Amino acid sequence: MRRVAVGVLLLICLGMAHVFLLENTSRAQRVLPQPQDSGYVLPGPLLRLIAGEFRGLAADIYFLKGLVTFGRTLEQRVEDAEKEQVWQQVFALLDAATDLDPYFFDPYYFANASLSRNPAMVPKINTMLEKGLYLRDWDWMLPFYLGFNHFYYLQDNVKASEYLMLGAQRPNAMPLLTTLAARLAYKGNRTENAIGFLRGILSKTEDEKTRELYQTRLEALEKIFYLERAVAYHLEQFGDEPKDLQALVRRGVIPEIPADPYGGSFFIADDGSIQSTSDLVYAKDGK
Amino acid sequence: MIEVDSISKIFKEGLRGKKVRALIDLSLTIRKGEVFGFLGPNGAGKSTTIKVLLNLIRPDTGQATILGSDVRDAKVRQKIGYLPENPYFYDYLSAEELLWFGGRASGVKKPLLKARIPQILERVGLLEARKRHLRTYSKGMVQRAGLALALVHDPEVVILDEPMSGLDPMGRKMVGDLILELKEQGKTVFFSSHILNDIERFSDRIGIVAEGRLRLSGNLAEVVPSGETLEDVFLRTIAAADVEVVL
Amino acid sequence: MKAIWPLAVITFKEGIRNRAIYGIFLLALLLFAANFLICGMIMQEVGKVAVDIALSAVSFSGLLLVLFVGINLLAKDLDRRTIYMVLARPISRGQYIWGKFVGMTLLIFTAVASLGGCALLSIGSVRFAFPNYFPRFAWEPVLWALALIALMLVLLAALSFLFASFTTSSFVTLVLTVVSYFIGHGVSAIKALVEAPEAVGIEVSAATVRLVKAAYYMFPNLSLFDIKIQAAHNLEIPWTYLAGTIAYGLVYTIMIVFLAGLIFSRREFP
Repeated sequence: MRRVAVGVLLLICLGMAHVFLLENTSRAQRVLPQPQDSGYVLPGPLLRLIAGEFRGLAADIYFLKGLVTFGRTLEQRVEDAEKEQVWQQVFALLDAATDLDPYFFDPYYFANASLSRNPAMVPKINTMLEKGLYLRDWDWMLPFYLGFNHFYYLQDNVKASEYLMLGAQRPNAMPLLTTLAARLAYKGNRTENAIGFLRGILSKTEDEKTRELYQTRLEALEKIFYLERAVAYHLEQFGDEPKDLQALVRRGVIPEIPADPYGGSFFIADDGSIQSTSDLVYAKDGK
Repeated sequence: MIEVDSISKIFKEGLRGKKVRALIDLSLTIRKGEVFGFLGPNGAGKSTTIKVLLNLIRPDTGQATILGSDVRDAKVRQKIGYLPENPYFYDYLSAEELLWFGGRASGVKKPLLKARIPQILERVGLLEARKRHLRTYSKGMVQRAGLALALVHDPEVVILDEPMSGLDPMGRKMVGDLILELKEQGKTVFFSSHILNDIERFSDRIGIVAEGRLRLSGNLAEVVPSGETLEDVFLRTIAAADVEVVL
Repeated sequence: MKAIWPLAVITFKEGIRNRAIYGIFLLALLLFAANFLICGMIMQEVGKVAVDIALSAVSFSGLLLVLFVGINLLAKDLDRRTIYMVLARPISRGQYIWGKFVGMTLLIFTAVASLGGCALLSIGSVRFAFPNYFPRFAWEPVLWALALIALMLVLLAALSFLFASFTTSSFVTLVLTVVSYFIGHGVSAIKALVEAPEAVGIEVSAATVRLVKAAYYMFPNLSLFDIKIQAAHNLEIPWTYLAGTIAYGLVYTIMIVFLAGLIFSRREFP
């Protein structure tokens, strides 16, 4: 009986010591110096070789890693410089996922939704999307994304319209693609077309987090469109262009200047277009 | 019946290939219906000879035949029952399944085998434990299962390597009775042992092997002169063999 | 054949009752359960991920089965001398190898069938939970993928038999089998790499190319048997590919087991 009691006591002590040591050591581990290139991802061909027959599974894992890494930037307040680094890392992870399984749609989908908030990333994203463009020959979403990116970020309407035409030929494509492709042949209507694109993407997006990303951009564009129309109205009514947006409010064209959902403020640029101090990229308030 | 014609075998041991002469020009004849006791100290070549008969080891020179066929022909073993020294069987089989395998692999017809398995298990005293996995068996029980396996296909020639080892006195008596029973049925029994008493009790003829050579063989009555015991003969033979090695 | 079948039956029984099997199945069941958790985090192609995980779990568990149960079936026979009780029967060494191999094949087919059943169940229940996220899904390619996994495992088992036929230690057999598994899955990719090294900007000596080519023809091309990605995306798999792969698997397996039998028939068991 006493032996059992001693044994139980010893086991409890060891258990407590275990928990204590685990806590302490993991705390110490967190402050261990980390290598600079902790976000390094092996090149695609090597990954494929290592993953062997578990290529598909490895692609899933890299995608989830990318998702988690991106999520961390949303949760924590991260300095801009560091943010840039994290974004590159997210891209590398998603790119690896598509190297492992170029048919896997989620990495394309997520890369396009999340990383295009940084316009500098767009050419890289486009290269990534190209990987699946012809392999996923049943899918109109990838050409649609590529079309939007070329139109909106790269301002290459010819290419954008080519991608949209390709997408329109794929099964079950939204009729919108044909309309948009045709409209892009004309110059101008940039904002209105972009709104059309985003509404199209949103109608096919169900995931809440991703919807939010697109929703914010749509909201900003709708406000810009609203301001553009106000400027046009001002020109029609008063015969000249307003000097700044305040002039629109002063002359009663609009009740107030709408807020930029990205946290910046709208202004009329030198070329006459409506822009925002936020450049419609990531928010300053850490959102 | 069993003919061993001047077999020799050299083993290479270890990486350096140190040569060990396990059998040297060993010849042996065992006649039908007799019980032959094979005697010798540990490592003398008893098991090696037996393994040659089962084609587990191939002699460098010489050949062995059983029932007129070369032992290298697998078909011969249909009529041979063999109990290895310290037998090991599959862990997760029951004695019943083990015997089913032995019988089927030796070509026993299914209905016959079905009747034979309980009989033989009862004979070796494993009927109660027949459904248990062999890994739960004690050493003695494994030995009994091995005996049953050696006899399940009703072989004409029975070769038993140290059949008494690991058995309690009751088990030894059971094995002894079995050997006598086999003899009555006209089977040929070839068994090895280093326990002189067992050999003396059951054998018609004996052979003594030492240092890889057959030193002595013949009818028990002829080999052991009156007034001496088998032990005397055995010790004298072994001592002579040792002298020879030293020379 | 009369001698082979009873041996195959006891080999199968010995394998299926091995405790290691419980562990392997437990692992597989955990992976199937994890399927739900992971699929909950996927935004679009849940079906693809569900199929990936389920098929990978089957393949991985099967691999463990071959490496830790299968190799033991033969190696333990030699280590513990249980082979005596088999070879004391009218069974030649060649027949012994074939009997063991048939038993092992039965074991693999049974395991893949039951693991595959669980995998299908796991895919089916994920599909039930997220019916709208299976845009391109069909059962047929999944079944084909399972069949090819089974064939790949049989081939690997045959290789382990070949190694066991000339090594004396089960550990060496295990190591050689694992190495062949990795080479078998990578060799066609490496061959493509060294044959067109300029694509990745490396230089390859002629000797390396010859070595890789030799390995390509010596080792089995296991990547042929991997159609998990195609199954996950329901891509078209031509029947000529399936027929060719099955024929290749059978020919290679029979060749290897035959070779193992030849080598084994020279062995002695002191």
